[in-house]
Amino acid sequence: MKKAVIINLSPRKVGTSMMLANRCWEFLLSRDYRVEILHLYPNLKDLSPLFAAINEAESIIMVGPCYINTYPADTVYLLEELEKNQDILHGQCLYAVIQGGMPYVHTHESGLKMMELFARENGLCYNGGFVVGMGAMLNGQPLSKLINGKSTEKKFDRFLENVAKQEDSPATLYHEAQLKMPGLVYCIMAKIMNRKIEKERREKQGDSKKSPYDNHGLDLYHSKKDRTIDC
Amino acid sequence: MITILSDNTRQEAGEKLEQKLRERKIEMELIDITDLHVDPCYSCGGCTNKTYGQCIHRDDADTILPKLMRTDVLVMVTPVKWGSYSFKTKRIFDKCAVIGDRHYYSKNGELVKGKIGRVHTLVAVGVKEEWLDEEKRAFKNLVEENIRIMNIRGRVYLADDSNIGDCLETAAEGLSK
Repeated sequence: MKKAVIINLSPRKVGTSMMLANRCWEFLLSRDYRVEILHLYPNLKDLSPLFAAINEAESIIMVGPCYINTYPADTVYLLEELEKNQDILHGQCLYAVIQGGMPYVHTHESGLKMMELFARENGLCYNGGFVVGMGAMLNGQPLSKLINGKSTEKKFDRFLENVAKQEDSPATLYHEAQLKMPGLVYCIMAKIMNRKIEKERREKQGDSKKSPYDNHGLDLYHSKKDRTIDC
Repeated sequence: MITILSDNTRQEAGEKLEQKLRERKIEMELIDITDLHVDPCYSCGGCTNKTYGQCIHRDDADTILPKLMRTDVLVMVTPVKWGSYSFKTKRIFDKCAVIGDRHYYSKNGELVKGKIGRVHTLVAVGVKEEWLDEEKRAFKNLVEENIRIMNIRGRVYLADDSNIGDCLETAAEGLSK
């Protein structure tokens, strides 16, 4: 029986990254894999459970969110720590999934490139990845809820089929799944989303538009570990 | 105002760039982030639901974010790993989302976001002993995507052992304009 490990690189245990991780988990189970999902953030202080699972697996699937055009900082930390533990890296297949708010592939693709370069330097076999746009809007709901849900589901499952077969998964799959709309539609979308953002701001912040970080001597309301701000 | 955030792990480019800017009498501040403690963004939603616009976790980002509210040009001097910012640099960059403009704009037929704080120019200086061409392209692409999504101006410089002097000279020259 083949073994795979799915690493959830998101700080959230419910959300779009986990939805994708779960879909991947179910798919690999149905292909007779022994597969488990492990979370990065609860293991940040001691990565040994992740290392043990990675050592045993033939395939590693990294699934995470896109923060400012690539995976969060702690993904870099994980990769750096893996690099220091070369004995657990022995040519496993590596696949990467990244999901972010913007509907475009180019916004999130740098994350996949980082995984590819990491794999190459450390003797892993990078077999491709998948980019899911509008992940923030999904907020953990199934892929079918996306405007381009049907097409994304189909392409994502084809990606998972490649993962199961330990074969290369081409970038064309997620490029084909990308939502394609005329510029005017995005213009309207921006207006609608901004109205929602302004409404939320008024409800939460009141009339003041000033950022709390604009205040000299920011009011830190957590009393126990307060630090004095020198600004 | 120019703010330089420098992760000085295995590199001295931040200090050298500061020196060059000082020689040109340019107003700036160098912040050494190497030993700062900045926690991850936990994506907890506290900056929306509890304290709007402010992270609910207290760490050294509290000293940096107010400065970015007053800086026009952000320079990030960072060691590069696999075409990405260093872990320490990225921890801070991730937290910058809390002072990012939440609105959407439309540019060249695509959605974009806005500035972080009042930063209108992002300059990234990536440092490595030696670059692979592919890693150069990856880091350049990443920074260009950052500039694109924030809808601001910016430049990326790729420094290594062989070109660091010239590279920082060009960066300082660019910043003095």
